Formats: sequence, structure tokens, C-alpha cells
Amino acid sequence: MKTKKRKTKNDRVIPGFGLSLGITLTILSFVVLIPLATLVIFTAGMSFPEVIKTITKPRVLASFEVSFLTAFIASVINTVMGIILAWVLVRYDFPFKRLMDGMIELPFALPTAVAGISLTALTSNNGLVGSFFAKFGIKLAYTRVGITIALVFIGIPFVVRTVQPVLEKLDPSYEEAAGVMGADRFTIFCRVIFPEIWPAAITGFGLAVGRCIGEYGSVVFIAGNQPFETEIAPLIIMSKLQEYDYASATAIALAMLIFSFLILFLVSFFQARNSAMIQGRR
Amino acid sequence: MSEEVKSYVELKNINKYYGDYHASRNVSFGIEKGKLVALLGPSGSGKTTILRMIAGLENPDDGEIIIDGQVVNDIHASKRGIGFVFQNYALFRYMTVYENIAFGLRVQKWDNAKIDARVKELVSLIGLDGLDKRYPSQLSGGQRQRVAFARALAPNPHLLLLDEPFAAIDAKVRQELRSWLKSMIEKLGITSIFVTHDQDEAVEVADEIIITNQGRVEQKGTPVEIYRDPQTSFTAQFFGQTFFVENYHDFKSFDTVEGTTNAILRPEFLKLTKKNEEKKYTVTIAEGIVQSVDFRGSNFEITVKYKDNIFIAKRTLDEPPVEVGEEVDIFVYRLLVLDGDKVHLLKNRALNEESVVI
Amino acid sequence: MTEKNESKYVKYLLITISVIFLFFFLVLPLFVVVTEAFKKGVDQYLQAVTDEYTVKAALLTIEATFFAVFINTIFGVFAAWSITKFRFKGKKILTTLIDLPVTVSPIIAGLIYVLTFGRQSILYPLLEKYDIKVVFAVPGIVLATIFVTFPFVSRELIPVLESQGTDEEEAAALMGANGRTIFWKVTFPHIKWAFLYGVVLCATRAMGEFGAVSVLSGHLRGKTNTLPLHVEILFNEFQYMPAFAVSSVLVVMAIILLIIRSVIEYKGKKEEE
Repeated sequence: MKTKKRKTKNDRVIPGFGLSLGITLTILSFVVLIPLATLVIFTAGMSFPEVIKTITKPRVLASFEVSFLTAFIASVINTVMGIILAWVLVRYDFPFKRLMDGMIELPFALPTAVAGISLTALTSNNGLVGSFFAKFGIKLAYTRVGITIALVFIGIPFVVRTVQPVLEKLDPSYEEAAGVMGADRFTIFCRVIFPEIWPAAITGFGLAVGRCIGEYGSVVFIAGNQPFETEIAPLIIMSKLQEYDYASATAIALAMLIFSFLILFLVSFFQARNSAMIQGRR
Repeated sequence: MSEEVKSYVELKNINKYYGDYHASRNVSFGIEKGKLVALLGPSGSGKTTILRMIAGLENPDDGEIIIDGQVVNDIHASKRGIGFVFQNYALFRYMTVYENIAFGLRVQKWDNAKIDARVKELVSLIGLDGLDKRYPSQLSGGQRQRVAFARALAPNPHLLLLDEPFAAIDAKVRQELRSWLKSMIEKLGITSIFVTHDQDEAVEVADEIIITNQGRVEQKGTPVEIYRDPQTSFTAQFFGQTFFVENYHDFKSFDTVEGTTNAILRPEFLKLTKKNEEKKYTVTIAEGIVQSVDFRGSNFEITVKYKDNIFIAKRTLDEPPVEVGEEVDIFVYRLLVLDGDKVHLLKNRALNEESVVI
Repeated sequence: MTEKNESKYVKYLLITISVIFLFFFLVLPLFVVVTEAFKKGVDQYLQAVTDEYTVKAALLTIEATFFAVFINTIFGVFAAWSITKFRFKGKKILTTLIDLPVTVSPIIAGLIYVLTFGRQSILYPLLEKYDIKVVFAVPGIVLATIFVTFPFVSRELIPVLESQGTDEEEAAALMGANGRTIFWKVTFPHIKWAFLYGVVLCATRAMGEFGAVSVLSGHLRGKTNTLPLHVEILFNEFQYMPAFAVSSVLVVMAIILLIIRSVIEYKGKKEEE
């Protein structure tokens, strides 16, 4: 085609395209593509019935249940708390607000193992919090409640950080308009503000669930790792790896990967639909 | 065709696609050395694409771009000897005015003394003496535009390209800047092409106008030529205030063009006279009833109904006033008859002897 | 006004809930780390922190963090540059692939590397021939750390470069500036703060990475042990006090990085204005 002929080296005015894309793809290949390809090749060598058999073993299924259930509950708690925290940080002024805002990042910054052992120490029967609950016969550490606590810790920033910018941008004239029309504060929140922030909250929820399902470091200490009770899916992968049972580890990993991609897909689908809706509204 | 020969910038059958979108359709034109030319068209008409292709910021899929007798398709933008003023100026935000203007010279490895002299010269040319240590964010819109202009001129380009140079400026300052830029470019005598969607701007500033529409060049000519003798219906409507009339055959003392019924008129093509008023021409093409009279600041805009047609005309404040419902005589100097996409200019036969200057 | 009062109650209620929540989930754990670390006095604490294996683990953590930051910074800059300054096909796939590592569980990340470089890998004979050990060795730890922090720099740069557009670069290129000049003189000043922010973010996460590193390390004390892994070993050996002492070092590092990050964020915002 004639059009092809004209596409010569000065196709792009800004220099450095070849070099930068080259370096990008090289590093990407070594860090992501080759390992991913190996995973695919390795998976292709496994028999499908074998994979199904591996992931439907009662102990594995129980670990999925523990992982999903605790991740879900923790993320629900974090969604509620995240909206409250975002609201408090955006709408109110009070002493040490900036410190509080900075603290939200702590779970991102703190090594998960450190979080894990200190939450364990805190909630074990002779810990600061654990001893209080122990009086009533409630165990926190080494139970599913303990896992949930660790996951709440890990997931705090997600919803706060997705809702916060939306609240900041929210035009106060909406609320004023509703207020002028005589709506009370609660109605205003439910009818005017909540519809604006809930897509962000759902996005944050999805991200938190994704992170929590894969979480290992903070959970492994507090979980107690009792098969069928408090054994999480990543831990099973870990122990399969330590037994050099790569096939089983990969099978379980694949199931988890599919699940987290599903969540990711849902989140992005949700975001796309929502932004389309907002743009359509104009 | 002798004009083609001395073109300084020439585009030959340029085609450009963005995916499926045909941004430039067979664009061809030539521009003489020293001319200040406007690329005028509505947004999406492909005018900026043409400018960016001349600059070398985009490449045509097909066709040739010639600058100073040399095909530049394969020559890098920086070697084409052009200066480019971006729509939002693209001043380097983290450099002072001085460093912005000096950038092109530093890249070309001028020695410092020469750079300093050139930058100082340009800073005073654009009237920003004493502001050369400022950053772009500390300047007004007009000042930024001047800096962008100086930066583009610094390496002594032979061709200056400006993309919507006044779009980002307040209406107030815009007027002043237009005349400033026009006189500056005239003073320097540099061949310049600027893109605009504002017809007034094109008319006021440019020596020549190239009208673009849907990726095509509709017409090229001086502002007066385009105004008086539009070749296409698009050009006819793009300039000034226009309105349509049907069945122009009804108008007395006009020839007709085979197979046409509609025509475009401008208020200036019309003369309304009251029944008792003195007329320059005895013939009238029609009699109409005044529908509305609106004060437009310097004149009255009057709509008159004749059969199914509504005419728009102007009357000055000094002329005797007309009133709604009054019967008036309509005289039409000229018509732009619509023949598909083409336009034919028809003059009133009564004007045969006179040459009309509008 | 009643509405004012009502919203005041709501305000104090919500602030109280927030403070209590953060106190239990964020402040108390930190408090526990400090009290447990100093439970047996400053001398014991210092001894635990300056223990030979702790120091070695700290050095390895620094090494892995350094490489992760170094590689991901280079990657981030070039990836952001090519994604934001040029039009090309497959951009969307590229950005998805870049973000992929953080969506994968760290354990799975570790698993993928074991499959790639471990004994059963097709690459293994090649690695063995050149005597390169990746799994249960330092290179594995470094790779895992790079992987889990892979998009951290590029993710900060891309939105900034995107919003800045390409005009300034085009203007510079038109005047004949080469790529290096354009990047350092024109582009870099725009992304300076985002760049530093990304680097700090990357360092923060790299330093604390546990799961992926744990899979690849083999837990050889003094050899393939990073600080977080060392914490795990000590804790599992019921050496609580030393475990918390080492943790406190990580906490201090995390808080310092957090503060640096806030400063960078603040400065960047200020310059914006």
C-alpha cells in the first residue's frame, strides 16, 4: 500500500519511542511475561481432572471458604468504616486531622509480618485486647475472627482512598439544593450523597476483597492454621510448595487467580458502566 | 498557474487518516513567500491536522509537502526551518521566559553571548523587558502568547506556524493582540500560516484565507475574494451573516441559472426603501411587509416578508425609521445562487453599468 | 438552629467512631510492638537489634529494596514515557500487564517464580549450566521484590504525564532537542514529585514484602533472610522479644518513609498551585 511507504523513521516527532518501548518490553518480559508464560506452560501440562480433584479436596475447599468468607466480612466492615472515615476526613475539621489522614496509609507501609505478629500479640488470650474478651470466653487469635481482624487492618486504606476524592469533588450545591427543598440531613445523605459515593465505595470494596483473599503475611500468625477451621488458601499453596508438590500448588493458585481476575473484571466493568452513566448524565 | 511556481509552501494531494477517520481529503494548495495565511474552518474540519503536517508533527499518509522547493515529507520537524506556536503555547512551565526563548538556540549550540543578544532582542521586540526572569505561570495570557511567539522566532525560522493563536486569550486582549501579531509579522516579513475557527480573526489578520471543511479545502483567496465570490455553499455561509431564499426566479431583474431555485443572501446585499423615500434604482425586485425591527447597536436589523421568504436587511440610524407592518421596497444587489455544493454569483441587471463596491 | 445541633452531634459521633476504630486497629498494634520490644529493657533490645543475623537480614532487605527501586524506577520512567507520549497499538494490554503483579497474591507471585526458575523449569538446565541459583537464593528474593512492587513508579508517573499532554515535548522536539534534553529539561520537572513519591512507595513496599519473598527464600538464616522473614523465624521460635525488637526497626523505617511520602505529597501539591 502506498500509505505504508510514507511511514518512515520520523513518524513520531518526539524522540525515544523505540528505546523506551524497547526497555519497557524487555523489563516487562523478564519480570512478568516469562514467568507468566511458564505458569501457562506448566498449567498446560497438567490434566484437567487432576486439577479439579486437587481443588475439590475437602481441606482445600474449606480453605477457600475461610479465605473468601473472612475477606468478605472484613471488606464489608472496611466499606462501612471507610465511608465514615472518608466523610470525617473530608467534611470535618478537628485537631490532628492530618495525622489521622496520614495514619490511614499505615497498613500499606507497615510490613505485613509486623502487623501479623503484633495483632496476634494483641488478641491472644493474654494480650491487651484478647485478655478482655477471654473473660467472656471469646477467643480472638487463632480463630476466624482473628483472621478477619488482620484483614480489616490490611484493608483499611482501600475504601477510604477511593471514596475520599469523590467526596472532595462533590459539589456542595447539591446538598444545599436538597437542603433548601427541605430535606433533612439523613435524607440528603441517602438520596444525594450516597448515590455519588457508592460506586467508589464498591470499587474500594472490590480492591479490598482482592487484596484480602491473597493476603498471607498478616494472617499467617494470627490464623493458627488449623485445617478446616483457620487455614487460608495461600497457606495451603505455601505448604504444597514446601512439599515440592508444584502441581497441587499451581492448581489451587489458578483457582484463586481466576477468582481475583473475576473480581478485578467486575470492578472495572462497574467503573466503566458508572463513568459512562455520569458522562451520559451531562 | 504561475502562482503555483512561486509557492513557498506547497501541499500536493495530501491525505491523512486517523484509523477510519479521513482527516485530510486530497488537500492541495500553495502559499507565496511572505504571505500571512489563515486556515479557517469549523472545529473538526482538519485545519489543525494540515498545520501539524506542515510542521512535521504528523505525517501525511499520502501526498507531498514542499517547503522552499524541497519535499519535506521525510525531513524531521526540527530540520524544516519552521517556528511553531502551539494553541495553549506549550511554554516550558519550569523555565523562565528567558530560558524558554533561549531553548531552541541552546539546542542548536549557539554560543552564550549570541544567545543572550538574541533573547534580549526578542524580549524587547515583544515588549516584555524586565520580565525575562519570570515563569510562564506568572504571566498573563497575552504575555504568554508573546513569549511563545518569541520562542518560535528565536532560531530565525523561514516559516511560522500558529495553531489557534488567540483561542486561549480573553476577548478584551484578543483584539489588541491580533493587530500586534499582524504588524509584527509584517515587520519581520516571515511567511506565516495560522489556524483559526473565527472568521473575523481570519478576515482581520490574514492576507489570504484557506477555508477547510470536512478535511477538504473549500476555497483559497484573499478575504475580499472569498467574501465577494464564494465558490461553494459552505464558503458562502461561513462568512458573515447569511440567510436563504427560495424561488429567486420571482425576483425581478435577475437572470436565472438552469435547475436552481434557492439562493443565499447577506443583509448587505439588500437595500430597503420606504415607499416615499428617494431611491437610487427605480426597479425593485419585490415589495415586502416588515416583520420586525431590532436595534443592533450601530444599526437596525429588519426582517421583511415577501411571499414565503424572509429577508434580513440593515438600515442606519440616520435613515427614516420603518415600522412593523409597513410595506417597503426590496432591492437586491446580488444573489449567491445555490447549485448543489457550488455557488454562482448573480448581479442585479439594473447594476449593469456600475461597479458595486460593498 | 436544630439542624446545626443535630449535625454537630453527628459530627462528634462519627469522629469518635473513627478515632476508636483507628485506635484499636492502627495505634494499639504499634503500641504493642514498642512495649513488647522493650519488655526486657533497653540493653536486651539493643542486643536483639544488633544481633548478627538481624544485621545480615537488614542488609539483605536493603539490597532487595535497592534493586527493586532501581529496576522499577527505570522501568517506570520508560514505560510512562512510551505510554503517555506516543500512540501505538496494544497500549491497553501493556498497561494491564504492568498492573498485573499487584493484583496477584504474593504467594502466587512466589509460586510463579518457583515454577520459572525452580528445578522443574525448562529454564533450569540453562541456569544450572551457568551456575545461577534463583530459587532459595538472593536473586529469587530480589526478583520477587521487584515483582510485587513492579508498577509502583509507573503508576504514579502515568497520570501526571497524561494530564501534562505532549505539547511541551513536541515544542522542544520541533526546535531540535534530543530525547535526553527533552526528558531532563522539559518533562522531568513536571514529574519530579510524582517520581519521588513513586520511589518512596516502591521502597516502602519492597522493604516489607513477606509472602513472595517467603516462598523464594528457603529461610536460610544469615543468607536468604530478610528482616520480615527474620521476624517470622524469631516469632515461630517463641523469641517474642527479639521478634518485636526487629519489628520495631521496620516500624520506624515504615513511619519515616510515610513521613517522607507526606512531605513529598505536600510539596508536590504546593508546587501545583
